[in-house]
Amino acid sequence: MEITRILPDECQSLIISLTSPADACRSAIVSHAFRAVAYTDAVWEKFLPSDYRSILSGSSSSSLLSLGKKDVYFHLCFHPILIQNGTMSFQLKKESGKKCYMLGARALSIIWGDTPSYWTWKSLPESRFSEFAELKLVWWLEVKGMIDIRILSSNTNYAAYLVFKLRNRRTIGFRHRAVGLHINVGGITSREVRRVSLDPSQNEIQHVRQREDGWMEVEMGEFFNECGDDGTVQLSLREVDTSYFKQGLNIEGIELRPKDTDS
Amino acid sequence: MSEVDMAVIKPEIMKSYIWLQTVDGSIQQVEQEIAMFCPMICHEVIQKSMGSSKNYAISLPQQVNPAMLSLILDYCRFHQVPGRSNKERKSFDEKFIRMDTKRLCELTSAADSLQLKPLVDLTSRALARIIEGKAPEEIREIFHLPDDLTEEEKLEPLKNATDDPRIRLLNRLYAKKRKELKEREKLKNVEVDEELVDDRSVDDLLSFINGDDGDSKGIKTSKSKKKNRRRKDLQKSTSAHEATKNHNKESNGLNSVCRSAEVGQILPRVGATTNLQDVEDDIFPNKNEFDDGDIDDEIDPTLKEKIDREVEDFARRLNSDWPERMQEILSLGQEKKPVHLSLNGKGS
Repeated sequence: MEITRILPDECQSLIISLTSPADACRSAIVSHAFRAVAYTDAVWEKFLPSDYRSILSGSSSSSLLSLGKKDVYFHLCFHPILIQNGTMSFQLKKESGKKCYMLGARALSIIWGDTPSYWTWKSLPESRFSEFAELKLVWWLEVKGMIDIRILSSNTNYAAYLVFKLRNRRTIGFRHRAVGLHINVGGITSREVRRVSLDPSQNEIQHVRQREDGWMEVEMGEFFNECGDDGTVQLSLREVDTSYFKQGLNIEGIELRPKDTDS
Repeated sequence: MSEVDMAVIKPEIMKSYIWLQTVDGSIQQVEQEIAMFCPMICHEVIQKSMGSSKNYAISLPQQVNPAMLSLILDYCRFHQVPGRSNKERKSFDEKFIRMDTKRLCELTSAADSLQLKPLVDLTSRALARIIEGKAPEEIREIFHLPDDLTEEEKLEPLKNATDDPRIRLLNRLYAKKRKELKEREKLKNVEVDEELVDDRSVDDLLSFINGDDGDSKGIKTSKSKKKNRRRKDLQKSTSAHEATKNHNKESNGLNSVCRSAEVGQILPRVGATTNLQDVEDDIFPNKNEFDDGDIDDEIDPTLKEKIDREVEDFARRLNSDWPERMQEILSLGQEKKPVHLSLNGKGS
């Protein structure tokens, strides 16, 4: 009894689509006939977010729509695409197909960001966006971001990460000093502000981690999104003790991605 | 009348039955309400008037053998009763699908041929749970599938999954960056943003006036000359307030140009612009006002920097929105230089 002989193709596709992307990939190396089923559009369309079409059409990569669904899925997992006029990026988490967004520095509201003596905007290949923000010098460091809850995947635990770099030789005001990181979901202001150092010494607990794209990240907070209620997530980085100045921080953006609850 | 009422009032013989024939030739009769739960049977009865007697028994698809039919009818018998709670239905379903994998597959196929979607979903989910988390060899064993892929074919999906994201990302970004920089070069010559245009054209003119040859260095100094001039102008004209995107040509043409331009935020602009002609007419009559511009060269750099900064801040203030301005005023503690405060004395 071969499943591929007993069951019609649509049933086989349905069954695989009820598993997971990883299971579908494993199914693809079982047998020839099973692979054909595992690669069908019917399967991968289920793994893609339901609004992927409108996201892609509004992006700079709308040509992806002409690819097979499996290829669209994997492309979105490994290559963040630019949306919202190039100020945000979008990709999928490959295990689950859940949505990840990054607000680029231009999508954030950086206090004093338009004053060249305080912040400049650089274009370098190391950034996925056309520009990132480079801090020259401020006393009042405040960066805020906002994202609509509805665009996130439902039933998912999300965490926000500040994506940044410190220009080592020119960094002042971050070593052994903490900054305030805060997220506020849907107007509920009960969250505490996390005080984390972006440039911790060896003895301190390391909250800052290296990313795969060459930048560093630090978690700002996490929250569980049930079913995309109306409202926004407010994110902020703040250090406004004006008794000392800060120098040498590059900001790529703020990323929101699913976080496993046990990590 | 409800089903219960009918069963009490009407004797057995009054119940309607549908006649079904399975692929092995055997025929059986099934209560109408149970059989009609299957869309395919429903269609046959209504559209083709089949199933009313033994001679007109509905031929079921080949996937529906007597064993499968029996299971399907059990499912229909339970679920077609309207009064059941969701909890009851779920509990029934969980017990119902406890059968070996082969039977599950056959049942899925049979239910699919009868278009009984709820049962197809139920059995498919059960099979999906069986596949989840299993290694390919295990899946092969459970479903008796042949190991007929070549080694190369087996590696193919893994290639996708272990793509080094960083390298691919960087390559793409480099290519994208090159493209963007090229496009930006093109745009610079076409952009018609009036504020930026005014900035550049004034510089060109001033360097022309001052006899510079208009190279980048020359442009920089004339820019700071213009800033100093602007500072004088701004200090003079205390009414230079709410001019955000103000393009009004006032009697003093150069003042309006200065006031509406954003300072120091734009990439150096190269090339003359279309508004040059407009501005020229306003500026040349006032040429005499700026003959003393030469002394600016002698200001020492630190003071110049201070002045530049003040002017930038002030211009920015003029051009920013009110809420932002409020924030700036509140965060005024940032500014440490007393000189700066005097500029604020304009009382905006």
